[in-house]
Amino acid sequence: MKKLIILLLFILTLSSQKIINAQNSFVPFTIHQTQLENGLNVVTVPFDSPGIVAFYIIVRVGSRNEVEKGVTGFAHFFEHMMFRGTDKYPKDKYEQVLKSIGASANANTSSDRTVYHMTGDANKLEKMFEIEADRFRYLNYSKEDFIIEAGAVKGEYTKNYANPLSRLYESIRNTAFDVHTYKHTTMGFYEDIVDMPNQYEYSLQFYKRFYKPEYCTILCVGDVTFNQIISLAEKYFGSWERGSYVADIPVEPTQNQTRYAHIKSSEVPPYLSLNYKGPAFNDTEIDLPALYLISSIYFGPNSSIYKKLVLEEKKVKSLGCYPSFSRDPELIGIYANLKDNKDLRYVLEELLAEVEAVKTKPVDITILNNAKSNIQYRTLMNMDNPTDIANILSSFISASGDPESINRYYKTLGKITPEDIINVAKKYFVNTSLTIGTITPDDIPDVTINK
Amino acid sequence: MKKQILTLILLLIASSCIPQEIIENKISSSNKVIIKVMLLNGSISDPVGKEGLTNLTASLLTSGGTKQYTYAEIQNLLYPMAASYYASVDKEVTIFTFQVPSDFLEEFYPIMTSVLFNPAFDKNDFERVKAEQENYVSQIIRASSDEEYSKKALEDLLFRGTRYQHLSEGTISSLKNITLEDVINHYKKTFFLNGRTTLGISGNYNDKFLSRLKNELSTNLKEIKLEEPEIKPKMPDGIQVEIISKKGAFGSAIFMGFPIDVTKRKDDFIALMVANSYLGEHRKSYGVLYNKIRETRSMNYGDYSYIEWYENGGANMLPPSGTPRNINYFSIWIRPVQIAAQLKKQYPELENIKLGHAHFAIRLAIRELEKLVKEGLTAEQFEETRQFLQSYIKLYVQRQSERLGYLLDSKFYSRKDFIAEAGEILSKLSLEDVNNAIRKYLQAENMYIVIVTDESEAESLAQSLLNNAYSPMSYSNIVLKSLPKSILEEDEIIANYKLNVKSVRIVNNNEFFK
Repeated sequence: MKKLIILLLFILTLSSQKIINAQNSFVPFTIHQTQLENGLNVVTVPFDSPGIVAFYIIVRVGSRNEVEKGVTGFAHFFEHMMFRGTDKYPKDKYEQVLKSIGASANANTSSDRTVYHMTGDANKLEKMFEIEADRFRYLNYSKEDFIIEAGAVKGEYTKNYANPLSRLYESIRNTAFDVHTYKHTTMGFYEDIVDMPNQYEYSLQFYKRFYKPEYCTILCVGDVTFNQIISLAEKYFGSWERGSYVADIPVEPTQNQTRYAHIKSSEVPPYLSLNYKGPAFNDTEIDLPALYLISSIYFGPNSSIYKKLVLEEKKVKSLGCYPSFSRDPELIGIYANLKDNKDLRYVLEELLAEVEAVKTKPVDITILNNAKSNIQYRTLMNMDNPTDIANILSSFISASGDPESINRYYKTLGKITPEDIINVAKKYFVNTSLTIGTITPDDIPDVTINK
Repeated sequence: MKKQILTLILLLIASSCIPQEIIENKISSSNKVIIKVMLLNGSISDPVGKEGLTNLTASLLTSGGTKQYTYAEIQNLLYPMAASYYASVDKEVTIFTFQVPSDFLEEFYPIMTSVLFNPAFDKNDFERVKAEQENYVSQIIRASSDEEYSKKALEDLLFRGTRYQHLSEGTISSLKNITLEDVINHYKKTFFLNGRTTLGISGNYNDKFLSRLKNELSTNLKEIKLEEPEIKPKMPDGIQVEIISKKGAFGSAIFMGFPIDVTKRKDDFIALMVANSYLGEHRKSYGVLYNKIRETRSMNYGDYSYIEWYENGGANMLPPSGTPRNINYFSIWIRPVQIAAQLKKQYPELENIKLGHAHFAIRLAIRELEKLVKEGLTAEQFEETRQFLQSYIKLYVQRQSERLGYLLDSKFYSRKDFIAEAGEILSKLSLEDVNNAIRKYLQAENMYIVIVTDESEAESLAQSLLNNAYSPMSYSNIVLKSLPKSILEEDEIIANYKLNVKSVRIVNNNEFFK
C-alpha cells in the first residue's frame, strides 16, 4: 500500500509538471484562422499526415434552429438533401466525383451544427473545394427527389427506435424543456418526420436562411498549408454572398419543480437518469469545465460511488455523468444501469446523496489534479490523425464559433479550485431543475422526490 | 542441487520461448504508446457447453484485479495517466489493447504486465463480469439494435453446428455453466501459448522498454498445444429464412449471406473487394444496393454488402481491425425497412396493405446480386471502383491504433502489411481478375436470411416468402407521384422476381442464443 502511495505521488508530480509544460496552447499544433469578407471562417491545421487531409465544413445550424412548428428534424433532413445534387454536379455526377476522390465522406447533424466531412487524398483537395462550394452555393434538387429522400429519414428513425434508450432520450427532452428548441431531438418529432415530404417549399427557405457563409467554418487538417487553404477558399467561396437571417430561439424559462419521464419496458435492464439544467458553452467561465471535472471525479469509473454501487455492491452495471457542449443551456445527465429494479429507489437516493456531497464537501486537491490530468491526456491522445483532430475542433467551433476555444477551455479547466467545484455544483444540481428519466417494467416507477 | 538444475532448465526453456513475432511501428512524434497482444484463441476455443468462456476470461483480466492490485486500485493508479486497456474476443483471436501517454510508460508497465500475467481471479470480480456478459446475451443484443441482432443471428444460422456458431459472449445456458474454476483453467491452458501469441507495439517507446516487455512476455509463454476445431460451414440448399418475431419492432431488419472460401490470405480477396465495393461499399452512396433501395426508392437508411465480418457497422464508417478469420461469408445488410402496421398508420391510402417492404427489398437485393454474377463489372465500373479503393483503403489505418491493428491482422493472414500489399495488387488488377472472382465466389441461388421484425408482420412475411408471392412496393401517394415510370416498371419486375426459397421458419425472440 505504501508503495502504491509513493507511486501515486510520483505520478502526480510528473503529471502536474507535464501539463504545465503545455503552457498557453493546449493542443500540440498551430491553428491558423482567418475570416473572408463574406463572413466565412477558414481554419487550417497543418499536421504530419503525408498525403492525407481532413476537409470539414461546419455549419452552425442544427435542431436548435428549428423554431417553427411542424418542421422539427429539418436541419438533419436538409443534411440529406445536400447530397441530392446541383446543375453542374447532379446527384450521380457528384457521387462519381466523390468516388474518384477516394475519400471517406459523409455528414452528420446535432442540436447546434451540421458537419460535412471528407478525409482523403491531399492531392485532390482542390476538387474537394470545388464540389463542396458548388453544393453549398448552388444546390438544386427536384421536388421529386425531396419527397423521396424523406423516406430515408424515416428509415433512420426506424432503425434508432428499436432501442428503448432512444425513446427515453426523446421523452426526457420533451419533458425537461418547455419552449427552447432543445425540446425535440435532432431527428425531430415522429409526426413531423412523416410529414416531411410535404415541406418542399420550406426546404428552399431553409437553404436560403442557413447555408450562408456567416454560418460556416471551413476546417482543413493534415498535409496542407495555410496559404494553400486561403487561396482555395477565396477561389471557391470568396464570392459567396452573405445572408442575413437569424433564428429567434426561445429562451427556456426557469424550471421550478422536478419532472419525470418514463418508458415502461422490460426489454433492457432498469435505467435511471438524473437530468439537471446545465450551462451554455463558455470557454472562459468555470461552469462547464467544472462540471466535466465533477462528472469524472464523482461519477467516473474511479469515483467512490462507482466503486460502491458497481464494484462492491454490484447493484449497478454502469454509471456515468455527461455535461454537454452546447450553445444554449443544456441537460447534464447522471445515469445508472441497474441490475435489479428493486434497487431503483436505493440507487436514486445514493446518486442524490452523492450530488449533495459534491455541493458540501471540498474535493481533495490531489484528486482534482488527477482529474485534470486525466481529461487533458485523454484529449491529447485522441488527436493522432487529421479526422480525429477535425472532429474535436468541430465541437469547439460548433459551440463557440472559434477553434482557439479549445486552448481557452483547457486553460480555464486548469485553474479550477475545490471551491469552484462546490459553487458550480450548488448552482446546477438543484432539484427544481431536475428531470428524472426511467426505464423499468413498472407503470409508475418509485422515483418521486419530496420537495 | 537437482532441484536447482531443474529450475535452471525450466528457466532456459522459458526464456527460449519468444512470441512468434513482434510487430513494431515506432512513431517518435507520437505522444502515446499502444500495445496489442494478439492470441490465437478466440471463441472457437470455448469448450463445448462453456461457450463464452474465452470472452469471460479475457474480460475478467481487463475488468478485474490482479495479484498486485485490486481493480479499484488499478483505476486509481491509471486515473491521472488517462491510460486504458480492453480486450476484444472474436471467433479466432483474443486481442488485448493498452494505450498510455508516453510520459507514463514506465509507471504503466507493472500494471499492464500484472493484468496480463498475474490476474487475481477474484470471486467478486468474476460475479460482476459474468453478470454483465449474461445480461448482454439475454437482453442487450435483443433490445438495443434490431440490425445488430440480425447480424449476430445470421452467424448463428450460417455456422450452425460448428464452433463458429455461438456469440463470443456465449449463450444463456452455457454462461450458467461457467465457474471461476473454469476461467482459471482456461487461462492456464489457452492464454499466452508459445506460437500463438503476437506482440504489437506502436508509438513513442524506446528499445529498452520493448526488450523488457518482450522478455516478460517470453517468460510467460506456455508450451501447450491447442486443438483447433474444424469449421466447415454448409452452403445452404436454396434460400433458407429465419424470421425473428419480436414484440414492438418498428421495422424489418435484414441480414443475409452464404459462405465463401476466400480470406485476406488470397489475392482473390482483393479482386473481390472491387466487386463488393461496386455492389455495396459500407456507408457509401456509390453502391448499387444503396442507390436502388435507399436513394431511388427511399425504403430505408442504407444497404451494403460485405465479403468478411464487419464489426459494429452501425457505428463504424471504416472497417476496424481485430476480427481476422479463416472462414468468411458474403453478406448483404438491408437496414430496417417499413412494416405494414407502421405504413398503415402513416398513410390512409395504404390502409389495406398486408405486407411491409421486406420481401420486396430482399428480392431487389438478390436480383442485383444475380445481375452482378451474370454480367460482371464493365471496364468503366471496374476502373472507377479500383481507383476509389486505392485511395480509400489508406484511410483504414489513419489512426495509430488501427495501423497497429491492421499489421497484426496482416500477420494472421501471413502477410506483412495487408494495406500496402492490397494497394500494389489493386494497381495490377485487371477487369478479368475481378469478373473471374465474382464468378468463382458469388452466386444468388443459395442464401441464409435472417429478418428481425414485428410480430404483426412475421406470419404474412413468412407466407409471402414461402409462396414466392407477388410483393409490390407500397408507396405513399406523394412518393408514388414523384417516381419516374422506369422505376415503377422495374418495381413490377422485382415484385415478381422468383427467389429460390426452400424454407421459412418463424422463431421466437427468445430462441436465439439460448
